[in-house]
Amino acid sequence: MIDATNIAIVGAGLVGRLLAVELSKHSINVTLYEKDNLANLKDQHASAAAFTAAGMIAPISETIDSDIDTYHLGATSIKLWPSIIEHLKNQHLQQVEFQTNGSLIIAHPQDQAELDFFKLNTERLTRRCNAQFQAVDDSQIHSLEPDLSSTFKQGLFLPDEAQIDNRQLMSSLLLACKAQNVSIIDNTPVQIRNNCVVSKDTQHAFDLVFDCRGFGAKQQLTNLRGVRGEVLRVSCDEFTLSRPVRLMHPRYQLYLAPKPNKHFVIGATQIESEDQSAVSVQSMMELCSALYSISPAFAEARILEQNTNLRPALANNKPCIQVCDKHISINGLFRHGYLIAPAIIHSVMSWLNGKECQHFNHLFTFTEQSHA
Amino acid sequence: MNTPDLLTLYGETFNSRFLLGTALYRSPEDMSKAIKASHSEFITLSLRRQNPQQNEGESFWQLIKDTGCKLLPNTAGCRSAKEAINLAEMSRELFETNWIKLEVIGDEYNLQPDPFELLIAAQELIKRGFKVLPYCTDDLVLCMRLKDAGCQALMPWGAPIGTGQGLLNKYHLSALRERITDTPLIIDAGIRSPSQAANAMEMGYDAVLLNTAVAKADDPALMAQAFKLAIEAGRSAYLAGLMPARQTALPSTPVLGQPFWHQNK
Repeated sequence: MIDATNIAIVGAGLVGRLLAVELSKHSINVTLYEKDNLANLKDQHASAAAFTAAGMIAPISETIDSDIDTYHLGATSIKLWPSIIEHLKNQHLQQVEFQTNGSLIIAHPQDQAELDFFKLNTERLTRRCNAQFQAVDDSQIHSLEPDLSSTFKQGLFLPDEAQIDNRQLMSSLLLACKAQNVSIIDNTPVQIRNNCVVSKDTQHAFDLVFDCRGFGAKQQLTNLRGVRGEVLRVSCDEFTLSRPVRLMHPRYQLYLAPKPNKHFVIGATQIESEDQSAVSVQSMMELCSALYSISPAFAEARILEQNTNLRPALANNKPCIQVCDKHISINGLFRHGYLIAPAIIHSVMSWLNGKECQHFNHLFTFTEQSHA
Repeated sequence: MNTPDLLTLYGETFNSRFLLGTALYRSPEDMSKAIKASHSEFITLSLRRQNPQQNEGESFWQLIKDTGCKLLPNTAGCRSAKEAINLAEMSRELFETNWIKLEVIGDEYNLQPDPFELLIAAQELIKRGFKVLPYCTDDLVLCMRLKDAGCQALMPWGAPIGTGQGLLNKYHLSALRERITDTPLIIDAGIRSPSQAANAMEMGYDAVLLNTAVAKADDPALMAQAFKLAIEAGRSAYLAGLMPARQTALPSTPVLGQPFWHQNK
């Protein structure tokens, strides 16, 4: 392990927590800073993108609107998730639901062209990597998901996609941090000056400081932007889904992810704005009409939450690990947090151990130290 | 010495005859690269979804400004003249431009322009000093009425937005070009391939506006370049004058001088 025994992580979102758990497995003192109160779940749900997300791990579906690097990071992550979950379970016997039933892509008959385009892109992708897909007809769709509306005649089944219960995971990661003696300093907004973490009244120096603040790092990372996403969380007793479903539409792509207790997350809009105000009427209508078209059973669903959050993105919508002396910024995970975070943490750990993993070249950049 | 072949819209001249949209790209970087490769000087953007108000969309807005292109805000999503006029006024204030791509949608599913509301909105906006580029159907009478309202350029569709069906009604489109000779005509929407764009230019259209065909390409920058070349090729072909098509073959080499054993083949 690299010569660092005292490491700070700023930002207790998905990346910060995963990194804290990994680092604290070794003989390293880890301090995790968070601006919000970690005891207040409501507070967190409002601020960390990781809580708003649906927790889908969809390397193929997400690569269609991204690029091959996303696929490879996703493929690495899918292999890493089970061992992360296993570790969490061993730490405190809490099970995090990780579903590997694949995902289903469907379209209404009038949106067939969107499905065809998706299929074309998926075929292109499978030629470049070992991604798997299967075209399915209405009877296959209904044997996979019997509760879906019968209007769906064609679709794609992607067997290698997964989803995770993100909220269980986030609380489980926090418990593991505590069990592994991570010092957690919440309710404390800080600034980072190379290897120093500066809060309102104190300043601490570390061997290394990881900035995992997501959009919260905007002041320091000027090329970072927020991309508004809106999701709904509903409960519906009459409807069962065994896997996430993605609905094609000419103007947006929506997914419906089943969560424990008959809860469902439907999302997400993607709007180039850093406005964090409540869900707009138009987005609400789009999300609800998508729900209703997936199954009329959703007419009687109850809207439990409506959430808006900002995905942290760089100009190319790709992640970046920026190393500047003793300050390492991990950011730009955009809409792919659960899809790529384990691979990113794995790459960071390899780098700390003096190795370069397969993702090294497109993740890492090294810059000279500036006065900031 | 040739005089440069410029596009003139409301008295302003442009070197490029390719207008490009800023929506639907995989990333802002892809968008910037595509705009650069297109050599476009005029790019469209939507106020509804790209809102620079109160710094909320500031980052994305900055990337658009950095392209150095002239901005053409649109009224995408409006369904009535009143709504479009309000949005045009907001756009004028926020983007500091009189230019507006006027869209008033009459049918939600194929996004067909509503000709009646469009005309009302165009008349009002021209009165208010806007430079209106109306997105319209290929109906000759509608186009003439828009011209009468003071529109100094018209943007008939090739096909509904995002369909990639190309020039669906070439008869209407060529009739439009033959009848409206003194006002620039820009094909807006429905274009899928560079050959379709070249075709529109060969027919004498003054420019092409598109978005999806570039944004949804595997390599948007390369596709933008392909469209640029096609639009230039089509324009040159139009200026050069196309030979007439005919029903019977006409050999390009006279056959008289050929040996008899070749003639009988």
